[in-house]
Amino acid sequence: MKGVFFALSISLLMACSPAPESGEAYMVENIKTPKGLASQVGALEFLPNGKLIAAFTRGEVMTYDTITKEWHLFAEGLHDPLGIHVVDNDEVLVMQLPELTRLKDTDGDGVADLYENVTDAFGITGNYHEFNYGPEMDSRGNFYIALNSSSSGGKMRDEVRGTINLDGRDGTTGNRQMFSTVPYRGWVTKLTKDGTLHPFAVGFRSPNGIVVDGADNLFVTDNQGDWVGTSSLFHVEPGKFYGHPGGLVWTSGWSRGNPFRLPLDTLDSMRTPPVVYFPHGIMANSPSQPVFDYTDGKFGPFEGQLFVGEMNRGRIVRVMLEKVNGKFQGACTPFLDSLGLRKGNSRLAFAPDGSLWVGQNAHGWLGDVGIQRIVFTGKQPVDVYTMRLTSDGFELTFTQPIQDTAALNPDNYQFARYYYLYHQKYGSPQQELERIRVTDVKLSRNRKTVTLQLASLKPGFIYELNLGDLRSKWGQPIRSGLVCYTVNELIKD
Amino acid sequence: MRQIQVVMRTSVKRLGVAAWFTLAIGTSVFSQTDSTTTIKMGVLPGLQFSVVRFTVKPGDQVKLLLDNTDDMSHNLLIVKPGTREKVVALANNLGEAGPAAGYIPETRDVLWAIPVTAPEESRTLVFKAPNEEGVYPYVCTYPGHGTMMFGAMYVSVSGEMPQLAEDLNIPESRRDGKTDESAGHLGHANEKPVMLHPYTPVPPYHYRVFIAGASPAAIAVALPHNVSYCWDAGTSTLRFAWMGGFLDNADLWKGKGDAESKIVGEVFFRSKIDFPIQIGNKAPVRIAYKGYRMKDRYLEFHYQVDGTDVYELIRETTDGKGIERNFRIPDAPTRVTFRSSPYEGVMYIASKGVWKHHVLQLTANEARAFTLTLTKTEKQ
Repeated sequence: MKGVFFALSISLLMACSPAPESGEAYMVENIKTPKGLASQVGALEFLPNGKLIAAFTRGEVMTYDTITKEWHLFAEGLHDPLGIHVVDNDEVLVMQLPELTRLKDTDGDGVADLYENVTDAFGITGNYHEFNYGPEMDSRGNFYIALNSSSSGGKMRDEVRGTINLDGRDGTTGNRQMFSTVPYRGWVTKLTKDGTLHPFAVGFRSPNGIVVDGADNLFVTDNQGDWVGTSSLFHVEPGKFYGHPGGLVWTSGWSRGNPFRLPLDTLDSMRTPPVVYFPHGIMANSPSQPVFDYTDGKFGPFEGQLFVGEMNRGRIVRVMLEKVNGKFQGACTPFLDSLGLRKGNSRLAFAPDGSLWVGQNAHGWLGDVGIQRIVFTGKQPVDVYTMRLTSDGFELTFTQPIQDTAALNPDNYQFARYYYLYHQKYGSPQQELERIRVTDVKLSRNRKTVTLQLASLKPGFIYELNLGDLRSKWGQPIRSGLVCYTVNELIKD
Repeated sequence: MRQIQVVMRTSVKRLGVAAWFTLAIGTSVFSQTDSTTTIKMGVLPGLQFSVVRFTVKPGDQVKLLLDNTDDMSHNLLIVKPGTREKVVALANNLGEAGPAAGYIPETRDVLWAIPVTAPEESRTLVFKAPNEEGVYPYVCTYPGHGTMMFGAMYVSVSGEMPQLAEDLNIPESRRDGKTDESAGHLGHANEKPVMLHPYTPVPPYHYRVFIAGASPAAIAVALPHNVSYCWDAGTSTLRFAWMGGFLDNADLWKGKGDAESKIVGEVFFRSKIDFPIQIGNKAPVRIAYKGYRMKDRYLEFHYQVDGTDVYELIRETTDGKGIERNFRIPDAPTRVTFRSSPYEGVMYIASKGVWKHHVLQLTANEARAFTLTLTKTEKQ
């Protein structure tokens, strides 16, 4: 009786609640950059005073007043700046190619006059791919910096900075695979408050994205290529190895020679897999900076979730993480496609008003230039809100109630599963690609959650879900029908 | 003129300075009936096929070698005349089925296809050219590449092609006959004058760059009077100085940055001493670069020699024939020496101290502030 009453009141509530306004939940706006600026964005953040601060490939650091729309030069002459940490309105740390630099306006004229070396305790060979990412700060004031491996497509210069160890590359010329011949290419490093840079975790190829969540968990994206079958998101923990071998030579006490010569099985057994794979050509080809939505709802319903830029198309990816057996894993979905968003989405930052600013870059690869912002219009999106693993399938929760006839039809949930090879070769084809049947569908009383039972559930696979024509209770279509869940762990009973 | 374009690559190094030569060879060299036309196709940075167009005769045997010299994967589809954009759209529509299909849509418009080829891989396609004359596009349908990465195969008896500048079948960025490594990324290269920044830099100003003759942590500074210098944050030393201009960063800033900044002008000073400053009797052990400060836009470098702070501010001389190195070692605990070499191209004048065999000797007090003026040695 109580149940009936509860169901009745829910349905009454739903009947009474007004239909949400239809239309796009998000819109994309262009930000005008100054004439003469090659607007290849290397970094993007917001100052406590609400102004944007951005760094560009030709070395400029500029601020932008979002109200007056005026640009102002703060610093210049930097070498490929790719990250900013804001200390105060007049002080930032900028990660540039040769070092982490403190830029500070000490005389109050609005222009930085101090360019202080915060750390340069890592090697550079002068290879064009030695990009540095970060710094990302944890709650204790430690900074994390990710150092790209050197490119097989480039060279080592005659004069380098740092100790050379040629065991960190494959072959005598190094032109076979990305390499690490100076410390700590291919590592995530940790800068402690005493100013010491520590090697923290190894095995990264091109980690163009680093973020710390509210609980000090460190996440890093990496780009598809040699040893990276498809682009990935890693949960990075100290001392662990994430797959690209070159940097292993800088492991304390390393005595196993050239890591590229180690048997594949050995390398595979040493490595920690990604928590989320971004299937190549499907989800993202070149993921960039991840940012957590801590806007308290100002950016819509996805508070606490992760947004990741994609360089190769006009897309932002959304990541839904959960912990299974104490380990992170989860799903990714296209959050925003097109709507005027350009390619080259390399840097993301939430503004104080909750809009998501996107800095674009190409840098000789596929991309675009400029700055755009994504604004939540207040119209509620119809989307998969979370995707969680169950003991025999998945549980999908939507942002809005779903029409039940379609929601209960198993044909509206097309699953495929596959995995990618871990190997030296560049990328990987999908392995054991197979359709997986949905054997049972249940819909929750509030019609927001469906529980899907699958004919087979195995760890080590990506489960790619394509939704059919599901619609919200008010008839609006789902914005993105594609969700890919990385199953590393099955739920232990 | 009847001609066949044969393209040869002389260097097989990936992304090196691959030199490409286009040889126009009279058709008499090749027999048209039982010959094979070989096209060596590479990939240039910025989503470009190295060969942007070529001609073959109807029914010719064609051997197309795709050597993926890029650092991204690519495929190559030869499609029916006028169908390039349609095929690219179909490939995009493959969505999540794209990877398994190699991004090759199922359509009769695709005549031949080289599947996805990873960086450093090569694949060969051999086919008989269509009997029907026409312009057959080739295109990479890898996600995102199709709108930029294409070219044209001209199938014709005459072997004629339109003027390159007027060829609407090739990407606009290639119509000037140059391979544009910065295609679409650096703005309009033909716009004059080219603005490098949203402001006009007025000396003194600086760039951190890759430059020959210094470590990868170099700082290049433009001074008034067209005097410039390179101070190396990797070694905490002044490496060289030059006159007559500053830098050409065109190569460094286009594409991926796999290049060096070029010096404009003439080098008049080049340091021959690893590290010139010694505090006390012991050779320095630990040199630490600390940064720099702007003083009226001049850079004052800060570094430590075994824990002692050293400041160095470099200006042009008033006559523009050299540089002034203004040193401060405020807490010099003992005497300081500064070593020079007679082979550095300059004459040194010190404001304080005594020279002995090209070594300047300073008391701790003198070392608190002293100036070295380096003037270009006049050639005999």
